[in-house]
Amino acid sequence: MGKAVLGLFTYVDDMLAAADKLKKSGFSDVTIFSPIPLGHEIEHVLGERKNYVKYFTFLGGFTGFFVGTLLALGTAALYVLPRGGRAIFAVTPTVIISYETTILFGVFFTLMGFVLFAKLPSYKKKIYDPEVSIDSFGLLVDVSEADINDVTKTLKESGANEVKTVEEK
Amino acid sequence: MAHQQHMKSDISYREVNEDVVRTMTKSGVGYYIALFLSIAGVVFLWWLPWAYQIYTGQGVTGLQTPVFWGIYLTNFIFWIGISHSGTLLSAILFITQTPWRRSIYRSAEAMTFFSVLTAAVFVFVHMGRPWNFYWTMPYPNQRQIWLNFQSPLMFDVFAISTYMTASMIFLYFGSIPDLAAVRDRVTGWRKELYGALSLGWRGTDAEWHWLNKAYTFFAVLIIPLAVSVHSIVSWDFALSKVPGLNKTIFAPYFVVGAIYSGSAGIVTLMVILRKTLRIEKYITTNHFDKLGMLLLVMSLLWSYINVLEVFTGWYADTSFENEALKYRMFTPPYSYMFWLMIFTNTLMPLLLIFRKLRASILISLIVSLGINVGMWIERYLIITTSLPRKFLPYMWHDYSPSLTEISMTIGSFSFFVMLFLLFIKLWPSVSIYEVKEDIGIPMKKEGH
Repeated sequence: MGKAVLGLFTYVDDMLAAADKLKKSGFSDVTIFSPIPLGHEIEHVLGERKNYVKYFTFLGGFTGFFVGTLLALGTAALYVLPRGGRAIFAVTPTVIISYETTILFGVFFTLMGFVLFAKLPSYKKKIYDPEVSIDSFGLLVDVSEADINDVTKTLKESGANEVKTVEEK
Repeated sequence: MAHQQHMKSDISYREVNEDVVRTMTKSGVGYYIALFLSIAGVVFLWWLPWAYQIYTGQGVTGLQTPVFWGIYLTNFIFWIGISHSGTLLSAILFITQTPWRRSIYRSAEAMTFFSVLTAAVFVFVHMGRPWNFYWTMPYPNQRQIWLNFQSPLMFDVFAISTYMTASMIFLYFGSIPDLAAVRDRVTGWRKELYGALSLGWRGTDAEWHWLNKAYTFFAVLIIPLAVSVHSIVSWDFALSKVPGLNKTIFAPYFVVGAIYSGSAGIVTLMVILRKTLRIEKYITTNHFDKLGMLLLVMSLLWSYINVLEVFTGWYADTSFENEALKYRMFTPPYSYMFWLMIFTNTLMPLLLIFRKLRASILISLIVSLGINVGMWIERYLIITTSLPRKFLPYMWHDYSPSLTEISMTIGSFSFFVMLFLLFIKLWPSVSIYEVKEDIGIPMKKEGH
């Protein structure tokens, strides 16, 4: 169980300035809570995040294409249905079915990617303050016992409305 | 309350949470009366006639040789068409980063899901023996027969089920942060429910990052899916050899018609929602102005394709094309419907040229309702003016829907209304976090 300090801010720039200051002082484990997506604003401070979900989407689409093709052609092979000289293995229906399965599997794999990286669902009790789903921006910093006072002071000086020490389970 | 500087709006973040949660937790008597009526409509106008049809057989419908596709399929196409609203308003406007999307897209996405669901139920109604539905599943049945993927009806099964799955995922995952916001403000059973539904969302930078990436991909995937869905629905007709149906223009015609009716559906819904949920400050006349422009463009496109269809048939001057056109345009009762459709879908939307009329809620309501009446007629005419005049005159036979079919059609509207009434109480119908994005990020220093 580690200690952490949570500061709640009204203004995003105050919070980001505090995060920047703490990062520069060597506190690497910083988490930001916000009621809206901050995107670019955060990237300046916490650094750019890679987008691994796209590989999942691509892999899903690829798998889906093969599943669809296999279904359309494979079933035609398993139950041959001759219709007046028409192709047993027809291109057009195969394209349509594999188009749909490409998208279906693409969606499923994207979903898997999201769930995996966002680590959801997670029903364990974690550090959280309901104010961050309303109008507060939270800054959570993992600290050792000795640094609590310093971090609390930095957060308060940067404009945090409320600073509390919390325990991580 | 936090004081927010440098924001675009007077509304505070806290107010958004309070307003949206209020729409979910406070219900007047009117709400329960509407819910009761819609449930009664579903039971008495849809489920009971359906049970009667299953018990008695398809003979209770007006379907007979050569018309085996009637009003059920009309409803199927109509509801699939309505579903395109969510895709257009949510996915396309998300990709193009259109700000006015934010307060209306959640309801549009829900509308997509509910209308696909309504359409899907009509497939079961139309089947006659719905318990044989598993025959369309991709596995060999009792006689070791696999599916015939070369049938457009099988394309449909795949397209519709993919669309329903994708639209449900799109709606749900875009709502997770709002479900968490609701979780934090409610008590009792609601707290338990939204606690489970929000999957433990805390709004961390990592969670937002991955949600944004995944949501973008969902949006990118759902646009070509929506186009394919209505193209495939059109191929149920266009890939046959029936005069009046066998047309190359059908796929784009159906897609345009779907977006048109879906957008009109969303206008109607927004008029009702903003009034009944008292969310006028989130759904403003600006939204109606923008949606009005969209309707106008779609109306012109739709009318163009209609003129084209008549013109190419006229130019070809073949007996079967002429017969199909004459039957649709000049033979009562179809001619009345046809010209009513032209009035509601081509002439009436021209009112939207004027900015003042676009911003008028009443005009928006009348025009949007008119469009969907016209779009329902369009689908009805496609089926009922082609199949009865198939090939040689000895097999011609007119179709008129029976009372059972009409009842189930009205019942489907009750079903949709019922789903929506439940939705507005169980789901945040306005996106809390996106409306906040619209308000602006609270910054102390300007130009940060």
